[in-house]
Amino acid sequence: MNYLIRNVTILDPDGPWHLRQTNLYIRDGKITDPGKAPGSVKEWDLNGAYCSPGWVDIGAHSGDPGFEHREDFSTLADAALAGGFTGLACFPNTAPVTHSKPGILYMLRQSDRLPVDIYPTGAISMDCAGTDITEMMDMHAAGAVAFTDGKQPVQHAGLMMRALQYVRAFDGLIINRPMDLAIAPHGEMHEGYTSTSLGLTGIPALAEELIVQRDLDLLAYTGSRLLLHTISSARSVELIRHAKSRGLSAMASVAAHNLYFTDEDLAGFDSNLKLAPPLRSADDRKALLEALLVGTIDLVSSNHTPLEEEAKKLEFPYAKSGALGLETTFSALNTARPAPEKLAEILAIRPRKALNLAVPHIEEGAAANLTFFDPEMEWVYTGKDIRSKSRNSPFVGRTLQGKVLGTYHKGELRKNP
Amino acid sequence: MATLQQLSTNHLLGIKYLKPEDIHLIFETTRNFKEVLNRPIKKVPSLRDITVANLFFENSTRTRISFELAEKRLSADIVNFSASASSVKKGETLLDTVNNILSMKVDMVVMRHPAPGAHHFLAQHIDANIINAGDGTHEHPTQALLDAFSMWEKVGDLAGKKIAIFGDILHSRVALSNIFCLNKLGAQVKVCGPPTLIPKYIEKLGVTVEHDLRKTLQWCDVANVLRIQLERQDLKYFPSLREYALYYGINKPLLDSLDKPIVIMHPGPINRGVEITGDVADSDHSIILQQVENGVAVRMAVLFLLASGR
Repeated sequence: MNYLIRNVTILDPDGPWHLRQTNLYIRDGKITDPGKAPGSVKEWDLNGAYCSPGWVDIGAHSGDPGFEHREDFSTLADAALAGGFTGLACFPNTAPVTHSKPGILYMLRQSDRLPVDIYPTGAISMDCAGTDITEMMDMHAAGAVAFTDGKQPVQHAGLMMRALQYVRAFDGLIINRPMDLAIAPHGEMHEGYTSTSLGLTGIPALAEELIVQRDLDLLAYTGSRLLLHTISSARSVELIRHAKSRGLSAMASVAAHNLYFTDEDLAGFDSNLKLAPPLRSADDRKALLEALLVGTIDLVSSNHTPLEEEAKKLEFPYAKSGALGLETTFSALNTARPAPEKLAEILAIRPRKALNLAVPHIEEGAAANLTFFDPEMEWVYTGKDIRSKSRNSPFVGRTLQGKVLGTYHKGELRKNP
Repeated sequence: MATLQQLSTNHLLGIKYLKPEDIHLIFETTRNFKEVLNRPIKKVPSLRDITVANLFFENSTRTRISFELAEKRLSADIVNFSASASSVKKGETLLDTVNNILSMKVDMVVMRHPAPGAHHFLAQHIDANIINAGDGTHEHPTQALLDAFSMWEKVGDLAGKKIAIFGDILHSRVALSNIFCLNKLGAQVKVCGPPTLIPKYIEKLGVTVEHDLRKTLQWCDVANVLRIQLERQDLKYFPSLREYALYYGINKPLLDSLDKPIVIMHPGPINRGVEITGDVADSDHSIILQQVENGVAVRMAVLFLLASGR
């Protein structure tokens, strides 16, 4: 199918058509001179909304293999496209763990048949158990884009150091979720007034900051590349800012949920807000939003963690941590009110740079890989909207600002209702 | 203070969610029921035709008996359920267990549960009045009400009174509910214990913190001494019971050395010789048994007030 997309503003920093207000003609999946569009072509008028290269998320959990009752690749792809993501760097916390070449190849085979691109990450340690290092060179050669134990934070400093050293052989990227599990082994939420008043076990921000500092020191020692996944505290931001000013190749992401909610939202024991990292204080949230705007935080992660009802509709301490994210990441990020150009940079450009992927620029003759969005449009995310196989979203029923209008990728136009 | 005729809530999930007027109404009702309990015929028909389920997912002796007596004195029909011999071990969810019991037409649920917030979770999904008889380390509202009522009987209006809570504040639902309740009644509250057992942000709840036992005793009018909850401590928060008893145990010579008498309370069960010595627990300064007596009247008041809002 060929399309004429009318009245779009192109946001493609470093691309030839950046900031151009134009019509886009997509013929046989390729961007073509709109002047050549025949009269009979399908049209879509975007009324001045934006179009950027398709977005990429780092940190979604795929469910397949092992947890297909939570998410399969088809529902994952639907959720991703609804949220504007045409590419996903999925985490390796599958069953079996994606910790060797066959696991990477399995992911890539899914990618071939799906309407989105799957960029597999491989585990740092076998079974993400934090002890034995994996065959990262082999996985890299097979197509792994980065290495991480995913939701499992690396506890052992020696393992972390050797992982950072090892991937230098191919300029690889190590991703770690910073969290010292010994500080609050049974922690349930951010430690503060709310946790104290609810009698829930607190997770001090310190548990994260200790590992942020450790990992940055290891990064300085090894001269490698590091992405600190989903930092959540103001002091973590400070530590990263300092590391960047020293010229370290350090990047950081924030979970979209932490840009929208705070620990105070847990006062009603909503288990959909039981998250890892935990929602922190209003001051932390403010620091995260600011850091994102000035670039101290590079990326926003969906931290998409589908969980079955049986794992969530429970007493708070018994519920598992995690929430859906792909479909609401853009709106949550948009609470920072970044300039539209910045949105494109955060969602389309920086993730690809982190993963050493080429940016699919919007230009004549290029394969169309596009996300259409309107940062001003208000919408209500209802339970009916959920594309994911699971339902654990804390955003249900909320009025959100900023809506993804649709995507075009792999020859398919998807419009959100 | 304006007196309410009815509680502002359908459930007693925690003291946090009560207004000061609610507490005053409960106290007033408690006074009436306490008078009933001292009559030769201790039973009133107030809860006739109301069925109460006592669901205990965690061990309890005195709270369970106290609730059961309160219900019987009010002529309610009662069903008891305790987790040890139950379907819980077979992997049934809380919601399923409670819905099964409710489909047998139960009007009120008294529940103790190890998970903070378990009662909130239930309140969102079921249709009965819910009374929290303890949810993990969150709240134990009837205990706080009976504690405050007992204090009030002993020292009068609590506004401006100095109340100290001693011991394991970190793992104590009694401490939290006491703090919320006493704050709402205008008392000054101090918590005292080893630093590892005091939550870092406890001062944000409107209390002061002291780690010295003698100083705190010297300061307070009433000492509420908590049980050391060894069963709730997953990590080692202090080195030994011996050291705890040495530095945080309240004994007779220590009390005698203060320049004023203070009231001693304990929610039970007492670890005699650990947080409090036997002679202190049994002394004239102790109102530990009055607390237990008042417990029945307070629970009658809560059951009655919630039932009359139905």
